Order: sequence, then C-alpha cells, then structure tokens
Amino acid sequence: MNELIDIFRLFGFQFFQNALLGGTIAALACAWVGLFLILRKEAMIGDGIAHTAFGGIALGLFLGINPIFTALLVSILAVLGISYMRRKGLAQSDSAIAVMMAVGFSAGLIIISLAGGFNVELFSFLFGSILTIDQTDLIIVSLLGISAILVLGIFYKELLSMTFDEEGARLMGIPVRSLSLAFNLLVAITIVLSIKVIGVILVVALLVLPGLSALQLNLSFKGTTLAAICFGTTSMITGILLSSVYNVATSGVIVFTAAGIFLFTAIYRRLE
Amino acid sequence: MQDNTQVAAMQEKTTVLEVSDLNVNRANSVAIEDANFTIHKGDYVGIVGPNGGGKTTLLLALLNITPRTKGTIRFFGQDIESFSRWEKVAYVPQNAINFDSQFPLTVRELVSLGRVNRSNLGRTLKPPDLEAVDDALEFMGISDIANRRIGQLSGGQKQRVFVAKSLVRNPEIILLDEPIVGVDAKTQEKFYKKLSDLNIKKGITIMLVTHDLTAVFCRMSKVMCINRLVNVSEITEDLKPEEVLSKVYGEHFHFVFHEHKCKRVFEDE
Repeated sequence: MNELIDIFRLFGFQFFQNALLGGTIAALACAWVGLFLILRKEAMIGDGIAHTAFGGIALGLFLGINPIFTALLVSILAVLGISYMRRKGLAQSDSAIAVMMAVGFSAGLIIISLAGGFNVELFSFLFGSILTIDQTDLIIVSLLGISAILVLGIFYKELLSMTFDEEGARLMGIPVRSLSLAFNLLVAITIVLSIKVIGVILVVALLVLPGLSALQLNLSFKGTTLAAICFGTTSMITGILLSSVYNVATSGVIVFTAAGIFLFTAIYRRLE
Repeated sequence: MQDNTQVAAMQEKTTVLEVSDLNVNRANSVAIEDANFTIHKGDYVGIVGPNGGGKTTLLLALLNITPRTKGTIRFFGQDIESFSRWEKVAYVPQNAINFDSQFPLTVRELVSLGRVNRSNLGRTLKPPDLEAVDDALEFMGISDIANRRIGQLSGGQKQRVFVAKSLVRNPEIILLDEPIVGVDAKTQEKFYKKLSDLNIKKGITIMLVTHDLTAVFCRMSKVMCINRLVNVSEITEDLKPEEVLSKVYGEHFHFVFHEHKCKRVFEDE
C-alpha cells in the first residue's frame, strides 16, 4: 500500500514526468525499429552502433558539447561506414559491424585517457540515467523519437516489402538502396535517443526483446508491430516505476521486465 | 492440339516482349547466346531445357537484374534501360515459397505488398488497391485463407498466394520460374488450371519455366527451348515435341507424348 502511495506521489515530480515521457518515446521507437531489425536479421547492428556511439559520447564530453549530438554524428558515420564496406565487398555485414564497433569503442577509450579518466557523466551514458533527463534532453529525445516514428509510419509498407523480398521490392520500383540507407540512419537516431534512457550497453535489449516477444504470438504483421510497441512501452513504464520505488538501477529493471515478457510469450507459444 | 493457341490467335498480335541478339554471361561463361524471339499478347510460353541451360538467367536478364553483354530487350516497344512500367511485368521467383516461415505476415498482407510500388511511395493503400487485393484472392481461390499466417500454408497454397501477389498489380505479362516444384499431382493440376484461366480469361501473357514437358505441350501456346541457344516454336498440331526437345536435351532424348491424356486434361477443366 505504501508503495502505491509512493508511486502516486512520484507522478507529481517534473523529473519523473520527463522520465516517463522520454522513456515511452524511446521505447516506442526502439520496439518498432527493432522489429524490422530482427526480421532483416540485423539485430547486431543495434549493438554495434550503440558501442560506436560510445566514442561519440566521449568526444562530446571531451570537447564540452552535448554528447547526444556527437554520438549522433559518430553513429551516422558508423552506419555509412558499414553500408560502404558491405556495398564495396570489403566485409560482410557482421564483420563490418565488428570493425565499426571496435573502432568507435577504442576511440572512446583513447579520448577518456586523454581527458584523464572516467567521470560520472560518462558512466551514466554507459548504463543510462533516465531519472536525470532534463528539459533539454526531453526536447532532443522527443524530436529524434517523433522523427523516427514519422519516417517509419510513412514508409512502413515499403520497408515491409523490402524486408520480406528485397529483389521483388526493387522490381516494383521501390528505391531499395535509398530506403535501406534511410532505415540505417533511423537505427542510428533511435539508438542515440535511447542512450540517455537505457545506456550504451543495454540499448540492444530495448531494440530486440519487444519484437522477439511479439513474434512468439503468431500474429499478423500489424498485430506483431502493435504488440512489440505495447511490450516495449510496458517494460519501460514498469521499469521506471519499480526502480523508483525500490531504488534500484532503472535500466536493469527495464531490461528484466522486457526479458520477463519474452519468457511469458515463449511459454505461451509452447502451450499454444 | 491447343485451345488457348486459338484464343491467342484471335487476339490482336500485340508485341509484349522483343529480344534481339541477346548475350548473357554467368560466372564468366556464356549462358545465353544470340537469342532472338518475340512474345505476343496472350502467348502462354513454356520455357524448358536442362539444368544449367540458362532458363533462370534469361528471366533475370529480361528483368534487367542480370546484366547482358550484348543485345536489346524491349517490353511493350520500350528498351528496358528506359522502361518505366515495371508494374506491368510480374515475376514469381524460383525460391519464392522458401521464405522464413516465422515471418509475421498474413496472406492478405503479403498479397497487398504486390500493390506497393514507386507510384504510391510513402502513401497508404487506397480502397481500389484493397479491392484489387480482394479480387486477386478470390480469383486464385484463397479468400478463405486470407487471414492465415503465410508460414502455416501448404506448398500449393503458397504458390497460389505468390501468383495472387503478382496478379494484384494488374500485370500484362507474368514470368514464373519453376513455381510447381515439390507439390502433388492434384495441386499441380489446380495450379495449371488457374494459370490457364489467367491466360484465357484475363488475357495475361505467361512465360513459365518448368520441367513438366507434358504440361507444356498440352496447355501452352509456345515452347521455348533453352540450352545456351534459345529456340522458340509455336505449338501446333504439326509440331513434333521430340524433335524440338532433342535439340536441347540431346539426340538420344526420347519423349513419349500421350495426346489422349492431353485431351482428358482439357475435358476435366
């Protein structure tokens, strides 16, 4: 009962409202983008870009500018680099991701050592600090998140068509190459906007777990998308609420909730 | 010998596809050499030949997926390099039904993807698109499974779904690459019946890669034999199948053609 009162009291605080709003937008964008990533068998690109973004964050902190912007820039460069290596036959998808991940992360380490060591702010980007989202962060997260959701909403059917059958989509005159690049940029944007919420290390969970849970339900594509979004936002809100009440790491509880939903849906599928 | 040959003959002989001096390489060797042929509206062409003879390579070259080393390809009188009406050309690939069975799509959603093209980029499908989807589902006899997940379908159902997907864009020509592999005889019969309906009732030109030689000579209006060289013959009463086929399968090839069986197939329809 006391916990319930605590939760109601929390809703009155600005920081908590910011966390819920920013978290929900990030979860929604991650679940939707993540479902396409799973179906394109490119889930690891999420992890790769998130780790590359670490270099961007370190650069931002070192130069004294908002790390979200530098992380976005580095992530976009990483996406373009992966795309270039694949197109030119320099490396397969997984190898290209591994190269970018290693380069980005090691660049971050060099910058940290130049700056004289680890600091608390960098730590918060590694593991997320959703409860410290201020108005500026919220505006950035909202702008990036709504842009990502809008692009996904507008090109939903084209993305689905090329995810299912890329050659067939190309034959229908769908600009597959441009849309693939746009989608990869969308992945970079979604990851960067989620870093403050859940951190570099765990962002892949927010991308993959909701979609994976939804896929267990054997629904239509529309149903699977809605279920993934529902699971993602539920994990986020539950994680924020529980972690606030019990004073534990928010990103950890969010991921545990998402993993719990996956477990339930997997059991449901077995019993079906 | 052919019902649909007569139907095709009655239709105006509009040229749908014109191929001149076509050469296509595959893995640094010549796969198609000096191909010259013309396909008219309403033709139902069976493409036959030994494995590795260049059947799939030819289809991919026609679709401008595999580059050619020489020659021209014209759809509806327009060179494929400047051809823009690709929605008029439908293609059902060899491995269409080998998709990820976990992919979360219903039959209706998959068929709807056939309406997604350059002209409606970034826009939602409109009521006429949805009507076209309903029509294609009904024509292929799959309305009752419209809400089933594609991973739950049988081989025959999957094939009809993919033809419906190609049909939904109102094509004038459909290219099918071995669409009836690994299904039972009854399902094959139903599938051929649907293709004949498409050809005769809707006037759609069909080019079908197959190893089912009996089906070619019983049901189709032209046979295209490919073994690097391309040879197209009109299927008439006078055509001797074994003579045409021995050119691609070798001199010792022997094909027994039961004309009475052929007639029985048409009577069943």
